Amino acid sequence: MSSRTPRASGYFRTGYAQQFALLQTRLETRSLVLFVIALFAFPFFASAFYIDLASQVFLAAIGALALMLLTGYAGQISLGHAGLLCAGAFTTGILAQELHAPFWITVPAATLVGALLGVVFGLPSLRLRGLYLAVSTLALHFVVVYLGGEYESKRGFSTGITLDAPTIGGWTIYGGKVWYFILLAGAALTLWICLNLLRGRTGRAWRAVHAHETVAAALGINVAAQKLLAFVISSALTAMSGALFAYYRGFVSVEAFSLFLSIQYVAMIIIGGMGSLLGAILGAAFVTIFPYAIEAALMRLPDAQSYAGVLFAVNYAAFGVVMILFLLFEPLGLVGVWRRLQTYFLLWPFKHRPLERGRK
Amino acid sequence: MSEANLLTVDKLEVVYHRAVTAVQGISLKVARGQIVAVLGTNGAGKSTTLRAISGFLGIDDARVTDGTIVFDGRRIENRSPNEITRLGIALVPERDKVFPNLTVAENLAAPFARGGPGEDAIYGIFPRLADLRGRTAGLLSGGERQMLAIASALMCGPQLLLVDELSLGLAPVAVEDLMQRLLQIRNDLGITILIVEQSAAAALQIAEYGYVLENGRVVLDGDAERLRNHDDIREFYLGQSVNRERRSYRDVKQYRRSRRWYG
Amino acid sequence: MQLAVNIVVLSAIYALIACGYVLIYRVSRVLNLAHGELMMLGAYLLLTTASLFGGNPWMAIGAALVLSLVVGVLVYVLLMRKMTGEMVLAAVLTTVALGILLRGVMVLIWSAQQQYPGQALGFSNPALVLPGGARISLMAALLVGVTAATYLGLFIFLRFGRWGVRMRAAGQNPLLAAQRGINLHAIYALAWGLSTFTGSIAGMLMALDSGLTSSMMIIGLKAFPAALVGGLDSLVGALIGAAIIGASEVLSIQYIDPLLSDVIPFLVLIVMLVLRPWGLFGTREELDRV
Repeated sequence: MSSRTPRASGYFRTGYAQQFALLQTRLETRSLVLFVIALFAFPFFASAFYIDLASQVFLAAIGALALMLLTGYAGQISLGHAGLLCAGAFTTGILAQELHAPFWITVPAATLVGALLGVVFGLPSLRLRGLYLAVSTLALHFVVVYLGGEYESKRGFSTGITLDAPTIGGWTIYGGKVWYFILLAGAALTLWICLNLLRGRTGRAWRAVHAHETVAAALGINVAAQKLLAFVISSALTAMSGALFAYYRGFVSVEAFSLFLSIQYVAMIIIGGMGSLLGAILGAAFVTIFPYAIEAALMRLPDAQSYAGVLFAVNYAAFGVVMILFLLFEPLGLVGVWRRLQTYFLLWPFKHRPLERGRK
Repeated sequence: MSEANLLTVDKLEVVYHRAVTAVQGISLKVARGQIVAVLGTNGAGKSTTLRAISGFLGIDDARVTDGTIVFDGRRIENRSPNEITRLGIALVPERDKVFPNLTVAENLAAPFARGGPGEDAIYGIFPRLADLRGRTAGLLSGGERQMLAIASALMCGPQLLLVDELSLGLAPVAVEDLMQRLLQIRNDLGITILIVEQSAAAALQIAEYGYVLENGRVVLDGDAERLRNHDDIREFYLGQSVNRERRSYRDVKQYRRSRRWYG
Repeated sequence: MQLAVNIVVLSAIYALIACGYVLIYRVSRVLNLAHGELMMLGAYLLLTTASLFGGNPWMAIGAALVLSLVVGVLVYVLLMRKMTGEMVLAAVLTTVALGILLRGVMVLIWSAQQQYPGQALGFSNPALVLPGGARISLMAALLVGVTAATYLGLFIFLRFGRWGVRMRAAGQNPLLAAQRGINLHAIYALAWGLSTFTGSIAGMLMALDSGLTSSMMIIGLKAFPAALVGGLDSLVGALIGAAIIGASEVLSIQYIDPLLSDVIPFLVLIVMLVLRPWGLFGTREELDRV
């Protein structure tokens, strides 16, 4: 038998180059073009609220893509994602506050700090696996957040650090629409980096490490180096997202980087679908929009104002329920749902793909 | 008590991970009080058959997809292992056969016994274990471990004892001894025994009937006497070549015939 | 002297919570990150039963304890049972999600304000003066005693009880345990029930001592380094780990910086993971299984 068909419609690849092509069919090219146009047009039609929401989705998508690289592809679990965001945000805050460093220095500096922290977060992975690795990243999260809190209290910013709007070449970055495009560019850049890493040698090495470390080592892959590389790249991207977050909010405080934020990022890649970049983006959108949706739904109920006080509790509970539902019933996440729908329509009126080999 | 056969496996088919068929259409019968041997090389489906009888856990991701297993007049396919054990089938697994961090006595106390023979009877069959009562099971030798595994299976009070690869990793003397113990268990306690073995010589010493499995199918069965004298068995399982030159596995007519039948 | 008393009390709190982590991990290889929330739920249950059986405090405590046992079993039966056989990480994340859910639900039911079940039950909590001049509150002293009793009970149960032996057996080799007629689901449910039960005792005693606030969850989270430092599959380890974490926390608050309080357990944990990942008393091969 030949290899599996990439599309049930009968599209067969005829060369290796096609396997690496990002866009396989004309339909994909067309829908991508349409999607990009829609993204560009969006801020000119939407209200400030929706532009802000979209910007938050882009920010979350950067972090979720970075985590997906690490967990979904390289198979290294991290519960310390908020710690890295915190590190990126605080590097930016401290540099801007203490040295009045400009935008084009602080963001790369935060990325660099993220990469260094990636080595620190990644070192335990050389010895630990699975649960223990998750726990070690969790512990590091608390350490990073503690350091941030220590800085706040020692320097007298007990409520947080305020950041001025960044300027590039005398031009101040200000306003929702401008930020929309900056964050969109950041998310697109991250996606591009991820795509290229994953379809090349590095991505294959990560997948091999994920599947079986001993076998990967036997295939000539430097397992330790690949794990560290995954941590470094993922952490650098996450810290960059943290830096952008700091500027976007104009404010940095440790309160924003609780353990719950780490869990939200893990939830993004689970709800989106493990091992899929599209999943990371879908998950980021879902988790970001979810609390707003809950709020909107609550406000429609009679007696809306009385719920305002318990809104966060409802959010917690609903978020927990959604996470449990996905873990129990749809471990493949939103991407899994999407693929099943696709398959359903492609195969209709049949229910299952034909088996590669008959029963007898 | 209605039928003579304690266990009847009919056209059993087992699929792993919803994709890999490990056993395709195996049928065998075990009469009450008999010792039956299932022989075959690696990957022939022996252990899978045994595991299908003793039950899979969800974590194994295996299912009996076709055929029936009837034990003592009851259908038992795809039941959980603890239910099957309580119905009266106990398995001595191939590996991980004892709880390594428990002592010998604790290993014998852990099983959910219902009408088991009691510890004294067990120590009567395996006096060595009585001396080792307080020893941690992980520190036992291979032979002692095998004794403990059989003993703890007996503690479940089975009517049918399944033994997977008794001889694996043991010295021939130890295997000889253990086989005699199995015979004793059958004779004294009246427990029916189904053994799965690669080492046909050891198994056919005590078995009364035998099945030969290849590639997930029964290719040959008969009385132990007949199997012992069968040319192919002698050549491929007992290592006694009939003629000087070695034949290829594929030349054997049993194998070809079975291909024609099932393929 | 006061310092020593503080260390003992904090260690006892951590130890009582940590044994819940160990019980579940040892039997089913799942790290229950919702343990802090379940512990707090126990305290809130006491608050509710206290208002139901206002006149009879022992009845209230008994009812709350039974309820917490039931909650633990229900968590397994309704939720974690479906995760058996799944990846360990998925199970751990399910407990994380459960924790978040419980947090929300508890605020919805009991509000986020500080509450005092001790008052509702009519218990007073006088400070006792120990020989040497150190002070300890009655409830804290009770907590130390209860912790000792709980550990003793667990040791005896696991060593000599038939179901205790079965629990250990199931933890070592679930398949073989099932093949020996042991119902794994019953064992797991028992472990969850016991774990929630001991956790709830800790939660109730803390609430009786110093009131019921959401900071309790942080204490629950800080106790799991104690379990890990000692070795996740060892009760003795949990005891020693709790002592290490408790001592280093009290000492660093006293001599270095009070802000360190929340991070010290995790710093100790990191040091331990670098030096001896399987913990002081853990089994080494645990690492490869997860």
